[in-house]
Amino acid sequence: MSKVNLLERRNFIKGMGAAAGAAGMAMAAPAMAVSQSANGVKWDKEVEIAIIGSGFAGLAAGIESMRLGAKDVHIFEKMSYFGGNSAINGGLFAAPGTPMQKKEGVNDSVERMVQDQLKAGRGIADEALLRHVAEHAVEALQMTFDAGSEYHPYLQQLGGHSVARTYQTTVSCGAGITQPLLKECRKLGVQTHNRAKFEGFLVNDEGKVEGFKIRQGYYFGEEDTGKLMHIKAKRGVLMATGGFAQNVNLRMAQDPTLTAEVGCTNAPGATGEGMYEMFRLGAIPVHLAHIQSGPWASPDEGGFGYVSNYSIYNFPHSMAVNCLTGERFMNEIADRKTRADAELACRDKQGNPLPPILITSYKDSKKHPNTKKVIKYNVGWKFDSVEELAKHFNVPLKPLKAQIKEYNQYVKSGNDAQFGKNMTKAKGKYIEAPFTVVRLWPKVHYCQGGVQVNTKAEVKDSFTGKPIAGLYAAGEVCGGVHGVSRLGSCSIPECMVMGMTAARTMMKA
Amino acid sequence: MKKLSLVFAVALASFVSLSAQAVDQREYHKDVIGKDCKTCHDQGLKNYPSDQACTQCHDVDELAEQTARSEEDKWQNPHNNLHYGKELPCIECHGEHELKKPMCSNCHTFKYDKHK
Repeated sequence: MSKVNLLERRNFIKGMGAAAGAAGMAMAAPAMAVSQSANGVKWDKEVEIAIIGSGFAGLAAGIESMRLGAKDVHIFEKMSYFGGNSAINGGLFAAPGTPMQKKEGVNDSVERMVQDQLKAGRGIADEALLRHVAEHAVEALQMTFDAGSEYHPYLQQLGGHSVARTYQTTVSCGAGITQPLLKECRKLGVQTHNRAKFEGFLVNDEGKVEGFKIRQGYYFGEEDTGKLMHIKAKRGVLMATGGFAQNVNLRMAQDPTLTAEVGCTNAPGATGEGMYEMFRLGAIPVHLAHIQSGPWASPDEGGFGYVSNYSIYNFPHSMAVNCLTGERFMNEIADRKTRADAELACRDKQGNPLPPILITSYKDSKKHPNTKKVIKYNVGWKFDSVEELAKHFNVPLKPLKAQIKEYNQYVKSGNDAQFGKNMTKAKGKYIEAPFTVVRLWPKVHYCQGGVQVNTKAEVKDSFTGKPIAGLYAAGEVCGGVHGVSRLGSCSIPECMVMGMTAARTMMKA
Repeated sequence: MKKLSLVFAVALASFVSLSAQAVDQREYHKDVIGKDCKTCHDQGLKNYPSDQACTQCHDVDELAEQTARSEEDKWQNPHNNLHYGKELPCIECHGEHELKKPMCSNCHTFKYDKHK
């Protein structure tokens, strides 16, 4: 093994260590929440609307409820900082019929977006919810414009989408949305509470959620810190608590292949106790085992990092290569599950992970602002020749050269005979030196499963099938919307539309 | 295997708490605060300092200015960063009695040479 390879291996193991460390932290935080009867509870405080969680869904709900005339809206966030996983997400926002699509002449519709998502969902996605979200996605996008979010001046076509319909914030991160939305919330008078951990519902004799317990002054991972408070919520409680990707125990209970080896892109707070408490209350669990790994992540950095957005942008005009063979092994813009599975199968002769590489021409990659950064921070590399590239990653040179030649034929003909990749966005973009290269390895990214909600964001009860009174949910904590595989950039519209929807329903309640 | 790592963890934990006592306090804080623990431990001696404790003396805007980076890297400023602006509580990255890693290193390989 060459020196270079040792370094690669070490970096890889280092990546694993970071993942295992984060997992350890999550596992040390058990789900303590337990709901109880509201009878005889001495309320410490009464609010009009309570929102648990401060990501896209919670923030959109906060803004919408104030716009509809709410007077007393509170967002409770268990971490010391606001924004949840949304604050570190990729900032990619899909919507049909947007101003930029009109400008670029893209022919899109609600129906087309729903059909793309149904296909990725492999027959088990919730069509009514997908249609509801797609119908209101432009409204949600407008809410971000109004709050001051800025977007790259181009559309992207992400894996599994049949047209380019994705906006991305100029900072290539969800924080480009959560920061303006948080400011807007406060401007409108939404009260925000950090270090406030949800500890269970308070339920009356009819089964209605009257309020909840919150641990104020909570320090993440230290369960007995803070003071328990009982809060009554007049119009209802909105659970916008996100997924459970950081909870290795819970995700392995659903899918034993998602060990700490797979890593995780999520913020540390994505541990799932809000969702599990809704199950205890009677909410319907849907699709919990469908947990998505991001095929665009890198083993050379932690979390979502810089590479994820770099590769999402570059996949359409790049070539992914197995380092063992020097050959392509997947359609670079297939949906996420297809690609993640293909990457996980890239292993050395002993069966150890051998992360594949993504090869892009520098002239095409450099249009994305992250390209400079991935090179600068040593999570991506620039090479002047194929020989140099092959040597660095120990890829057999001859088959690699042949593969590049073959791939460039597909760029020319517009027809990928190997994997059937849609070559529209690759038009004229030949794989030529100088190259930029990153390594790929999937990281657990999104939990498709969660509680079942209807198109009013009401949480349904397992036995009656009716909404649980006083309880609403929006965002990743809800399940079944996307089915087997969520398409990239479809979470932000879902979170925001369902957050807005919950606000609208609550304001009528 | 499990047992072994548990023993290791316990040993590590006791090492950390021992070193916490040994590290004690930063020199420049000794000059200002002396040994009045309550100056920082405004929520009781057994609790963490509140998120406002450090800002009794340190101004967030000034800190953000001191750690400002070039236009290209401007959002890597730990005191005014992309994800959380100026709102990150100090103790996410700093500990008076223990060394902490900058929170950015959870996901990024940025260098903060002067961080402590």
